[in-house]
Amino acid sequence: MQWSVIFKKEMVEYVRNVKWIWVPIVFLIFGIMDLITTYYLPKIIESVGGMPEGAQVNIPTPAPEQAFFMSIGEYGTMGILIIALVSMGLIAGELKSGVYELVLSKPVKYSNYVTAKWAALSTLILTSLFIGLLAGWYYANILYGDVSFGTFIGTFLIYSIYILFFITISVFVNTWFKRPGMVLFVSLLFIILVNIITSIFGHYLTWSPGHLSSYLNGYIHTGNVTGDLWGTLATTLFLIVILLFSAVTVLKNKEM
Amino acid sequence: MSLIAVNGLSKAFDGKQVVKDLTFQLEPGKCVALLGPNGAGKTTTLRLLAGFTRPTEGNITFDEQSLSTDIRNYVGYLPQFPVFHNWMTGMEFLIYVGQLSYLSKSEATERASQLMDRVGIGDAKKQRIGKYSGGMRQRLGIAQALMNKPKLIMLDEPVSALDPIGRREVLNLMNELKKDATILFSTHILNDAEEVSDELLLLHRGELVEQGSLDQLNNLHQTGKIELTFSDNPDSLKEDLEKLSTVEHVDVHNRSVNIITSDEDATRKELLQYVTAKDLPLTKYEVAKTTLEDLFMKVVSK
Repeated sequence: MQWSVIFKKEMVEYVRNVKWIWVPIVFLIFGIMDLITTYYLPKIIESVGGMPEGAQVNIPTPAPEQAFFMSIGEYGTMGILIIALVSMGLIAGELKSGVYELVLSKPVKYSNYVTAKWAALSTLILTSLFIGLLAGWYYANILYGDVSFGTFIGTFLIYSIYILFFITISVFVNTWFKRPGMVLFVSLLFIILVNIITSIFGHYLTWSPGHLSSYLNGYIHTGNVTGDLWGTLATTLFLIVILLFSAVTVLKNKEM
Repeated sequence: MSLIAVNGLSKAFDGKQVVKDLTFQLEPGKCVALLGPNGAGKTTTLRLLAGFTRPTEGNITFDEQSLSTDIRNYVGYLPQFPVFHNWMTGMEFLIYVGQLSYLSKSEATERASQLMDRVGIGDAKKQRIGKYSGGMRQRLGIAQALMNKPKLIMLDEPVSALDPIGRREVLNLMNELKKDATILFSTHILNDAEEVSDELLLLHRGELVEQGSLDQLNNLHQTGKIELTFSDNPDSLKEDLEKLSTVEHVDVHNRSVNIITSDEDATRKELLQYVTAKDLPLTKYEVAKTTLEDLFMKVVSK
């Protein structure tokens, strides 16, 4: 009841500040940008005067699976940045402006407050991701060749977990700082560290969330969910739960 | 039986004591003013009671139960500078905080509408809060504090930011609210405290320096103050008066003289003898009461 009140309020807020419009559009653009530019690159080069005489540049046409995976590559960098921007004020913004004095002086359960906001943000981001990936899959099919719908759904489900992981990092960091800019910086630092640690100790940390996109690449090409991918998904989900739980605890004990 | 009992409450930020060893009780149905100059620890005290910060020492007992239950169920709180979600309308915000306080949507809507009318912003129900004036925001802030029918209403400087008319209306509203709830409000304006409160808590540098009802405080700190007025400006009056045995202090402003005395009766005899002996043109003899302002200044200048 209280949970859904907060969830609905967030949803209305996303409508009024037009996040429900611009976030899906941005994800849509990221989903198809690389696919389209890569496809038309030879024609673009042609139209601006072509290659110099004698230049031997061979631009290979990627396989359909490879093309589809380009969308993921874009979400892994620019997508993460957009998510960090959208979520940096989720809780920190209310702490900074002072709205929390009115909201949290009501008998609001901290767990409701954090998880309802987390769920609302996740709904917005995952819907946008779905739209963007769907468009990416569609263009991969048109321009490069067959990628099955099942692969698209599988990719969406697997990659959602990685995106949820980053959303949860941002929510967690939101409970630490009062300044949204700080939240942006620290949550990006957090995910970069996860990736650096994964690449250095990758041999030991085979189930680290940092591996998820490379395992996903394997899945798109083969259609097989490997043991390592299952393990990584489980680890990531586990970390999401831990981070959410910690966020509630931190906020509850915070001196405001 | 007290509604709230505060015992030895202390709060330090980074080693700096902001509130020191506060002990007081709030009786149900009373309006209590937390009075003190800026920086006395009023806001911190209210935030401690609202649960935004935890005391370094001491405890708060609500309704004879220790704070295992969520105090926020019974408390309405208005911060000094209330901030709202500006994209909401006044009604939407009240319904939102009402639902957060476990009212149903229809209950919350009905109560929100009543409260908007009651605090005098009934015309702005469907207006975005972003377009509200400062006074309207303050009123909306009071309305939101009342949404959950609190037993204890805590208002941080509820009238300081208002114009004279708004101030009058809010003070009247507080007089009405006293009937259903206990009110604890902070102010640095003596008139406001005198006007609506039954009891005063006088804070200075984080310490509770005085507490009691207005009458108690007045009686406790009553010193004799005699005001004399002459039709002519008498010479050497100050020196002569200061020689009288019971007079503590003499102030001369033109033709009027203020005298502070330890013993009103003795001074009267001496004074009148002196006036008769010198045949001074006395036009007025008045025994004045020390006001809350005198008390406040005395405490603060300590």
